[in-house]
Amino acid sequence: MSVSRRGFLQGLRAGRPTHAAEFMAARGHEEYVALMQQGRQGRGMMRPQLPPGVEAIRISSNENPLGPGKAAIDAILGKFPEANRYPFNSTPLDADLEILIAKLNSAKRENVVLGVGSQELLKNTARVFMSATKHLVIPSPTYGDPAGFAQNLLKYTVKSAPVEAKTLRTDLNALLPLVSGAGLVYLCNPNNPTATINSAKEISEFVAAVKKASPTTAVLIDEAYSDYVTDPGFQTAIPVALATPGVIVARTFSKAYGMAGVRIGYAIGDAATIKKMSAYRMPYNVNTFGVAAAVASLKDPQHIKDESARNKAVRDFTIKSLADLGYTSTDSQTNFIFTDIGKTMTAAAFREACAQKGVMVGRDFPPLEKQWARISLGTMEEMQKATDVFRSVLKSTTTTSSGKE
Amino acid sequence: MALTRRSFVRTAGIGAGAALTANVWGRGRENSVWSAIEPDLQAVEKGVICIASNENPVGPGKKVLDSLRALLEGGARPGRYSNQGGELADAIASHFKVKTENVLLSEGSTEILRAATQVFTAKTKPLVGTIPTYEECAGYAELIGNPVRGVKLNSEFKIDLDAYLAASKGAGLVFYCNPNNPTATYVGAKATRDFLQKLNSASPETTVLVDEAYFDYVTDPDHETHVPVALENPRVIVARTFSKAYGMAGLRQGYAIAHKDTIAKMRSWVGSSGTGSLNVFGMAAATVAIAQDASFTTNERNRNKAVRDMVTKWFNDRGMKPTDCQANFMFVNIGTPAKAFREACRAKGVMVARDFPPFEKTHARISLGTMEEMQKAVQVFGEILAKKSTAAA
Repeated sequence: MSVSRRGFLQGLRAGRPTHAAEFMAARGHEEYVALMQQGRQGRGMMRPQLPPGVEAIRISSNENPLGPGKAAIDAILGKFPEANRYPFNSTPLDADLEILIAKLNSAKRENVVLGVGSQELLKNTARVFMSATKHLVIPSPTYGDPAGFAQNLLKYTVKSAPVEAKTLRTDLNALLPLVSGAGLVYLCNPNNPTATINSAKEISEFVAAVKKASPTTAVLIDEAYSDYVTDPGFQTAIPVALATPGVIVARTFSKAYGMAGVRIGYAIGDAATIKKMSAYRMPYNVNTFGVAAAVASLKDPQHIKDESARNKAVRDFTIKSLADLGYTSTDSQTNFIFTDIGKTMTAAAFREACAQKGVMVGRDFPPLEKQWARISLGTMEEMQKATDVFRSVLKSTTTTSSGKE
Repeated sequence: MALTRRSFVRTAGIGAGAALTANVWGRGRENSVWSAIEPDLQAVEKGVICIASNENPVGPGKKVLDSLRALLEGGARPGRYSNQGGELADAIASHFKVKTENVLLSEGSTEILRAATQVFTAKTKPLVGTIPTYEECAGYAELIGNPVRGVKLNSEFKIDLDAYLAASKGAGLVFYCNPNNPTATYVGAKATRDFLQKLNSASPETTVLVDEAYFDYVTDPDHETHVPVALENPRVIVARTFSKAYGMAGLRQGYAIAHKDTIAKMRSWVGSSGTGSLNVFGMAAATVAIAQDASFTTNERNRNKAVRDMVTKWFNDRGMKPTDCQANFMFVNIGTPAKAFREACRAKGVMVARDFPPFEKTHARISLGTMEEMQKAVQVFGEILAKKSTAAA
């Protein structure tokens, strides 16, 4: 197994794994976080360990299986002499990354704020725009971080509307009646875990409708997966954000850029909106190696095009493999797919069975967990192995559990 | 404007004079809130001596960097969410001979300072800090709308323990930066223990955050970590960072050590365990760094002390008195405004720190670079300060 398949630090020493490390190696970070947020800690949450000798295929956390490109790795190695410098004294400066991001989006530095991944930005958006009387509006299901933070830590109210029944696309019309008096609307486009998009036209019309119905309500559009979109109807909402006070687009280097372990994200919006966000930004939040890697990556756009094409080939293959078995997936525009396995088993049963064979797929996504499973896309080689596992898991359970086929 | 918003020593009263109301906690280059409004931020060009930010000029050392290089060259890629905070937490726990449940990892110690302020201050429970000190706790308290009390240092620029105790009664959180930034002074271990005990008796609901960022640079013989106190007393937290003696400011790793109940209260407010994760470079480097034997910090302390002694003597010889410095920076009465000094130094390729009100008219904070850098720097200081005294004469 190549080192990149394992955790970054595992090459350092073969120490006794901690409970958390053990769990996360088995189940993936995102699930660990979800469990932590639910306060479910302790040995009881441990899932079956892999059979001895079986190497895990980790397709549970929507990570880029290859990591960043060569330009980024070279940039990191080049920054070793500056490990001792704060990001405001390093070359490039954290400010240089902001300026480059601004330039690539026809904006100014004042329109950009960096975050420790997009996580920090998602949290800070809740802090800036919500209050005890100004709730959050989200589609259900969606990426859980903003709602979890708002509800569990800030103790603010969250209102949600289900995604469209058939397509699982975010139902913007269903969200609209909830926005009156809201502090913030969170949209993830493409949406996690459903993998679907809303078109540029739908988004800009929705933003206009929100602003009309509830002028002080902010809209956060999380475009973490945008580099993987191939549907021509999608466009970034950055121009909308730049033109509309209280609209923010969040981006991350954790997905197509392959730097989930580097922790750099950014938000773009109009200057006054970003200024509010900047007030909450943690001082010297981004690490200097990451800043250098991000700058190098942004100067190598071909790598991202190649990564998107690589992902699309894997996506087409995996969706077709499951379709051949009789399981349909949503119209995925991301580096993961969301598949209806409901006629055979629940997501939990699927996950358990796959884990027994060394394939780690995504956690439950209520309220769809009885029917839908999220599968991140690894390399083509990994997905060839994984689809073999899916075939045996879905087939054996079909025959043994129902006895009808 | 950020500056106006930060005029927040509102409830001060004790020890804080009226002249200190505005800009007392004002931030500098090292703070992004400020940097956003500082238009002329520039990278440190080659050849410029950067002694502005209390960084370790020699970095994390060969062992740490070689480990990181070996990981990257061996194919390790930062493409996965880190998932391995446990390894670093274990390494820290083992270093301090505490349990992992007593350790909370964070993005620099900044995140610990924010989490503690978030959890322990409230509208009725102020943050207490000295004037001046490292501003993060006060700045964050103000940001979330909680009151701040400032307490002046004593005539030696040290924490005035009696005044601090009086001001801390009823507080939510007391920020105890020792050695104190920017004044470089240090309160001995025994006096600190007494303070913690007295405050705990007088105000049992008050939490104290002991920031030991510069711990490894202290040479005062009355020197101990307050980790043992923190393990016993749920109202005491120790914050540490890899940004100073360990030379990893760019990698953003810090942590808190405290009673497990106290750690549990802060845990969900930091990214390492809530809804984010730490960067893998920092975690890998810190895991190797803290496992090194004590000679690493001893050598760095000795290296720094030699430089500090040289620069201290240089200033003393010229009648400019630094405070009793126990850190990797100095706070010197140069008898002239820091701003003019800073700008003059910058013109000659030396970057020293921002203003630290209320002492910005007389005192400058100078971080300690390598011996070679500081030999060049004092020449520059000599040219500038000699010119000042000539002009004044």
